[in-house]
Amino acid sequence: MQIASLTFVMLVLPALLLIYYLIPDKARQGFLVLSCFLLYSYGNPVRVLYPSAFLCYDYGTGLLLEKVRKNRIASTGIVCFSVLIQIASMSYIRNTAQENEFFPFGIAIYTLQGLGYLIGVYRRHHAPAVNFIELALYLLFFPSLFAGGLFSYTDFTKQKQNKHLNIISLSDGLSLFIRGLAEKVVLADTFGYIFRELQQIAPENMSMLTAWLTTIIFSMYLYFELLGYSEMARGLGRCFGYELPKNFSHPFFTPSMTAFMKSYNITLVLWFETNFRRLLFRKYSDKYAYHTGFILTWVFIGAWYGVRIKFILWGFLIGILLLNEKLFLEKIIKKQYIAGIVYTALTSQLLWVLFFSSNLTEAGIYWKAMFGFGNGILDQTGIYFLVSYIALILSGFYIATDLFRNITERMSVSDFGQKIMNFMPLFHGALLILCLASMLYDGQHEHLWLWM
Amino acid sequence: MTVILLFAVYLTVLIGTIRIFNHTEFPVPSSQFAEELEEYLRQNLGFHDVLFQLKSRSDLMIGEKMIQGVYITDERLIEKQFSYQESNADPVNDFYQKYAIPTYLILVPSASEIYESTLPANALNTNQEKLIKAVYADTETGIRCVDAYHILSSLKDSYIYYRTDSHWTSYGAYYVYQSAIQKMGFTPVSYQNYVISHLSTDFRGDLYQKTLYDTVKSDVLDCYTYEKGSKITDVQMIFQNGTIRRRSDIYDKSALESEDMYRFYTGEPCQKMIIRTDLDNDKKLLLYKDDYADCMIPFLVQHYSEICVINLKQTGCEFQSVTDPSEYTQAMFLCSVRNWQDIFQ
Repeated sequence: MQIASLTFVMLVLPALLLIYYLIPDKARQGFLVLSCFLLYSYGNPVRVLYPSAFLCYDYGTGLLLEKVRKNRIASTGIVCFSVLIQIASMSYIRNTAQENEFFPFGIAIYTLQGLGYLIGVYRRHHAPAVNFIELALYLLFFPSLFAGGLFSYTDFTKQKQNKHLNIISLSDGLSLFIRGLAEKVVLADTFGYIFRELQQIAPENMSMLTAWLTTIIFSMYLYFELLGYSEMARGLGRCFGYELPKNFSHPFFTPSMTAFMKSYNITLVLWFETNFRRLLFRKYSDKYAYHTGFILTWVFIGAWYGVRIKFILWGFLIGILLLNEKLFLEKIIKKQYIAGIVYTALTSQLLWVLFFSSNLTEAGIYWKAMFGFGNGILDQTGIYFLVSYIALILSGFYIATDLFRNITERMSVSDFGQKIMNFMPLFHGALLILCLASMLYDGQHEHLWLWM
Repeated sequence: MTVILLFAVYLTVLIGTIRIFNHTEFPVPSSQFAEELEEYLRQNLGFHDVLFQLKSRSDLMIGEKMIQGVYITDERLIEKQFSYQESNADPVNDFYQKYAIPTYLILVPSASEIYESTLPANALNTNQEKLIKAVYADTETGIRCVDAYHILSSLKDSYIYYRTDSHWTSYGAYYVYQSAIQKMGFTPVSYQNYVISHLSTDFRGDLYQKTLYDTVKSDVLDCYTYEKGSKITDVQMIFQNGTIRRRSDIYDKSALESEDMYRFYTGEPCQKMIIRTDLDNDKKLLLYKDDYADCMIPFLVQHYSEICVINLKQTGCEFQSVTDPSEYTQAMFLCSVRNWQDIFQ
C-alpha cells in the first residue's frame, strides 16, 4: 500500500498505531511483520510472492554462510552467486514489469538491504538472523520500502534492545511523518504535475528558459519525492520505536559536487561504499586501482537508479567530477565559496537531464537548449510557467536549503523562540489539513516506486 | 499536545466522512478494491469541498492559473487543450470511399479557441482553427465541411459556450445547425419558431465539478421546442454490452436532479441510439458524434424520419462496424476537435 494515500493516512495508520500501542511488547514485532505483509499484498496478493521467496532465500543463505564460515572459498562462492542472482532478477523485473500491477514495489530497496545483510554475515560484521521474523521485519519494513533509507542489519539489531515507546516519541514520529507527507503530496506532487506539463512540450521547441525550468522542476520533484518518502519512513519508524537513518541533508546550494552527493540519498551512497568499494578495492593501495574503484562505485549507483545507459553515464560523470574535485579542485573550492555553489548548482542541473530524458539524443537536445542553441532564449511558454510557479519554486528552494532548519533551531534557543515553538503542534495540525486537501487532487499522484 | 491535535484533525475529518458514508455507495471488495477505496475517499472525504477549495484557492493565490487542468478566468472556466498531435481526415475519407453516401463533416472548436484572448497570458493552447483547416483540407472532394469555427467566433459575444461546462450551449449549436442543414438540402427551422424554456438557471457543469471554483457565474440550461414541428415517436438505446432500452423521448429529465445536467439532452451515453419521428420523408441520417452533438440532435430531428446516432467515444475507430451505413441517405460526422484527436490518433 502506498503510504502517501488517503487509505493509509485516514484508515490504516491510526488502526495500526492503536493496535501496536495496545498489545504487549512481545507481540509487537510479530504484529509489525504481519502488517508489513498485509500492506504489501494489499490490492494484489500475488505481488507478495517475490519478496517472500527473496526473504526465504536470504534467511537460508545467511544460516548457510554461518555453517561454512571456515571454508572461505565456499562462502565467497555463495555470496558471489547470491549477489549475481539477486541483481540479475532485480534488473530483470524492473526492466520488464514496470507497468505491471504485479510489480513487487520496493524491490530496489530490499534487494540492496538483503545483499547488505548477506555481505555483512560473510564479512562477520554481524551474526546471521536466527529469528525469521526479525529478518522479515528488517527486509520488508514497510515505511522504508518506497524510497529508503537503507539501514544496516547491525543498526537494526541494536535498536531492538533499547526501544523506547512513549507519547513523546509518538508525537515526534507523527510530526516527522506529516512533514514528510507534506513534502510528498504538497510539494513533490505539484512539482511532478508541472514537470509533466512541461514534458508535453517537445524538447526541440524549448527555449533556454523552458529547458532550465524543466530541469529545475524535475530536480525539485525528484528531491521532494525521495525526501518525502524517507522522512515519512523515519517518522513512522519512530512511531513504532525504530530509528531510521537520515537520507538527505539539504543538498542544494552546497559548495561542491562532493558535498552535494554526500547529502543526497546518503544511505544509498553509504551502502555502495561499504558493500562495494571497501569490500572489493580496499586491498589495493595503488592509486589507479583506487580511482577505478571510486568511479565504478558511482557507475553502479547510477545503475541502481535504472539499468539504462543514461543512468550509467550519469553515475560515470558524477564519479569523474568527484574524483576531479578530490584531486585538483579541493583547495580552490574552499576559497571560492560562492563560485563553488554556482558550479555545483549548474553541474548538478545539467546532469539531472540524463534522469528524465528518454535517451541520450533527447538529453543532447535538452543540453543544446540549455546552452541557448535551442529555440531562442525566452519563449512564451517558459514565461507562462515561470510566472505561474515562481512562488512555488522559490519556496521549494527555501525548504530545500538549510535556512529553514536554521531558523527553527535558532528559535528553540531563545526564550521567545521557545514560546513560539510551543505552537508547533498547531503548525503540524495545519500541515495535516493541507496534506489532506492536496491529496484530494485527482491525477497528480504519480508514484515514484514504479521505477524504483 | 501534538498527538491530541493531530487526533482531533483526524477525528473531525473522519466523522465528516462517516456522515457522507450514509448517503453514498461504498465500494464493495473486488479486484480493484484498493483503487476504488482510494477514489471513494478522495471524493467523499469529510469536508471535501472546503478542503479542496482551501487547496485550489491557495494555489491560485500564489500565482497558479489553472486548477486540475482547467484555466480559471474571470468570465469562465476553460478546459486546457494542448498537444502537438497532427490530425487528418482519414476516418471520413475511408468511410466516404466505402459507402459513397453524401457525407458531412463538422469539427467544433472548444471554448479555449474561441475565447483564447481571455486565457492567461502565454498559456499552452492548441491552435484549433489551424487543426480544423488541416483536417478539412485533407477531405476527399465530395465530403462537405461546415465551418463551425467562423460561425462560432463571429458569435463570440453571445452565450454560445457554457461558463462552467466544457460544452457549447444550445444557442451555439443552433447556429451551426442552421448553416449545416442548409448544406444538407433543408430549410432550417427559424429561431423565432422555437419556444425556449430554462430548465435550470443554476447549472454548474463538469468544469465546475472538477475545480469547485464558484466565483464564475452558474449557467443556464435551455431546451428548445418547436411546437408545430415533427414529434419523436420512438427512441431505442443500444448499449455497448448489448442491452436495449426504449424511451418515448430523447430528453432525460432525471439528469436535471444529478450533478451532470448536460446529460439531459440524450440521457445516459450509449453506443447507438435510433430516433424515429412522425415525419414521412424517407430521409434517414446517420450521425457519428461525440457528446458535443447532444444538444444539436433536437434540431436535426425536425428533418428526418430516422436518425441513427453512433457514439464515437464508445466505438473508437471501429465505428463503421456498428451499423450498416448503406441504409441511410446522409451521413454526418459531428465531433469536437479534442475528441477527434483523442479518438483517431
